[in-house]
Amino acid sequence: MFKSFIQAEVTLCRKIFVRSLNTRSPWDIVTGVCVERLPVVTPPLNEMQKKFMALQSTLEIEKSMKSDHEIRHESDKIQAELLKKESADVDVDAVSKITAQDFEDASNEELAQFKFASIETDADKKGDKTSTERCLQRHLVLVTPIKLGSDTKTLLPQGLLKEGETLRQTAERIVKEQCGPELNVQFLSNAPCGFYKYKYPSEVNGKIGAKVFFYYANYKSGKLNKTKGNWLTRNELQDILPDRYSKSVKEFLIEETY
Amino acid sequence: MFNLSLLRQFSRLAICPATKIPISSRNITTTAAVQFKITDQLWAEPMKKKKKIDPAIVKAREERRRKKLEKQIRRLEKNARQLKPLDEMEVPLELLDNFSKRKRPQPKLSAEVIEARALLQKDWARYKKEEYMANVAQVDRIMGAQRRALEKLLEESEDLYNEAIMPDLQLIPYEVSGTVATPAIKDYATPDGEYIDVSKKWDN
Repeated sequence: MFKSFIQAEVTLCRKIFVRSLNTRSPWDIVTGVCVERLPVVTPPLNEMQKKFMALQSTLEIEKSMKSDHEIRHESDKIQAELLKKESADVDVDAVSKITAQDFEDASNEELAQFKFASIETDADKKGDKTSTERCLQRHLVLVTPIKLGSDTKTLLPQGLLKEGETLRQTAERIVKEQCGPELNVQFLSNAPCGFYKYKYPSEVNGKIGAKVFFYYANYKSGKLNKTKGNWLTRNELQDILPDRYSKSVKEFLIEETY
Repeated sequence: MFNLSLLRQFSRLAICPATKIPISSRNITTTAAVQFKITDQLWAEPMKKKKKIDPAIVKAREERRRKKLEKQIRRLEKNARQLKPLDEMEVPLELLDNFSKRKRPQPKLSAEVIEARALLQKDWARYKKEEYMANVAQVDRIMGAQRRALEKLLEESEDLYNEAIMPDLQLIPYEVSGTVATPAIKDYATPDGEYIDVSKKWDN
């Protein structure tokens, strides 16, 4: 009884101690949000995949049975030959109708007329990085200009944790504040997916630096309307972000294989 | 009236004095209500007379009822055994009949082609293995990054950590539309197709 009471007391004390430490933590807690647009179109096949796909399709044809269309085509040929020989037992009704070849030609013509949308979009042609309609086969990550002290850097959208907020709530607030309410994203977890720490050049309000906790979200719909943000591919991201920062961002992103 | 009273008179005369009427006798009792008589208690309504039905009719009626029940049971049993047929799963007879006609002549493959195919399949197996290993390593890396972030968060604040490890209920139901082979055409008007519902009704 006494022992358990003492134990409870000790844990309480420890909690209070930890909390008091927290309030005096020399680090700012910052939430960064990695908004990623997933690829819209499947990535191109590499050499190996192309070769294997060709093999699979030849195997499939070899193992298949003849289709109705092929049988019709064969019977058409026989009829045509009979007609050439002008033999008596030609079925006139069967000959006068559309042959399988005609049907195939018409279908091919229809297919040729249909225009698929191009993978290279207008934004690609113009080199417009602010649109989500670019590089459809790649992952795109949103970066925005962030003011750090006196200079502005291009980073993932980020902001300070406010009193009484959870990190997830901060992340949602940041997206709303910095990207506008029209941008619709889906967060994938309550937990941060990455971490980054940096020191301020000089102490600010008794804080020596900031600890950035990254949250991951998928782009769903809408546009940026407040700040000028860019949607960047992996390579562009590596070029534009500071080295150490880029490393910690890359840590939690899916690697592209092409 | 006259007759009756006369008769009574007469009867009184006829009664011999030796047999005394109990009313006139003097009983010694403690209760005063000796002479009162209460009607019998019945405790129920008198039985009604039963309507008589011809036993043959009763029998016939019973028979009909039983038959009806039996018929229902039989129908249920029959339906339980009979399964709803899946037309799509049955090979049409037409195809079965022309089976030999539909066979494709097998190409004669040279030894080199067979060898090349086997090599390609082995290469493919190796390629897929590497891909799988890379995927596993990648998942490990991403999970590790999250674990590290959570550890750092725990160092900073226990409350925030506890909030962060809560399950995210907004994720359910989760919906994602996958990658496609060609991008969607903007403002594409889909041509109307014809729709004929040919599904059969399988009610009992």
